[in-house]
Amino acid sequence: MPVWQELREELKHKNFEVITVGCDVKGAAAEEQWIRAANPTHPSLIDERHLVPELYNTRNVPTTVWINEDGQIVRFDEGIYLRRRNRETGEFTVTERYLNALRDWAAKGSASGYVLSAEEAQARLRQPATEDAQATVHFRLGAYLVQQGHAAEAVAHFKQAHALKPENWNMKRQAFNLGNPEQDYGTTMQQETQIRPSYVPLDMPALPEA
Amino acid sequence: MPDLSATLIYDETQTAIARPRVNGDELWLTLADLVSSTGWEIKAEGICRGEFCVPLPTGRSDSLLSKEGSDTWFNLTAFARYLEQPVAHDATHSVWLFGEPPSAWQGRLNSLIAPDFTLPDLGGNLHTLSQFRGTKVALACWASW
Repeated sequence: MPVWQELREELKHKNFEVITVGCDVKGAAAEEQWIRAANPTHPSLIDERHLVPELYNTRNVPTTVWINEDGQIVRFDEGIYLRRRNRETGEFTVTERYLNALRDWAAKGSASGYVLSAEEAQARLRQPATEDAQATVHFRLGAYLVQQGHAAEAVAHFKQAHALKPENWNMKRQAFNLGNPEQDYGTTMQQETQIRPSYVPLDMPALPEA
Repeated sequence: MPDLSATLIYDETQTAIARPRVNGDELWLTLADLVSSTGWEIKAEGICRGEFCVPLPTGRSDSLLSKEGSDTWFNLTAFARYLEQPVAHDATHSVWLFGEPPSAWQGRLNSLIAPDFTLPDLGGNLHTLSQFRGTKVALACWASW
């Protein structure tokens, strides 16, 4: 969040804007402290029902979508931390490589080497299957029940969503965060990430700096 | 069929249905409730929502429509199967949630036109993605969990 704010201030004169979307069933209550700390001048939106992950078929956070002046998706990267905190040392590392790619795009637009071909962008966005659609309605119903104060009954619907889409980390991490993963789901994030990796490495060409 | 009130979430619209007919996972609505909660209505051309109509499935209209006295009931769950719409139902709280068929979702993503949305910020001000046409946008999803 603070890195996005800095980048936005740096690039705003290049016809570039940042929109952050915080996805949390608990909404502003869960997000306010993070947003206030970053003090954004760009739109910083609250998505209680995970609408943006649904529309863009994303499966993890943080995810970044590049949208050009015509409203066309030109790049999609899932699981990209601009800044990451080392759990042991507390140190922050910034993914300069990704920031430089965004700077390159802000400067060159469609001529940037980081803009994906239509085929590659379509492949990264993935075709939603019947299971995605089914998982989504169960997840949404679970989220609705939590918001209505029925967290216990939400578990069964979150479980169905997880069974249909085990690789969707948004649905898992959000549900685990709302309760006790071991009691409610018989698992932990650690166990889950041992079964399948939660992050794929950044797939981006190493281009000379702009 | 026991009569309970129901909460229906159809796409983005939420409606309290005072007198539905409920049969297991099946939700039956009166034609008046059908149009007010989903926008679908029965016309000569078939089942229509705005300009878009689908024909009543031949030989299967019994599973969709049921006449009882002066009322005609419509089986929204069976219609969702016909449209390949995903449905989730919570019996305890009598909630039905009908989503979008995967085909519509696929077509939209394949076009690469960024799907539009309107969401609030912390101050409750609404922002719509398409208002930023003409500008390069980095859309970044994050979460506190």
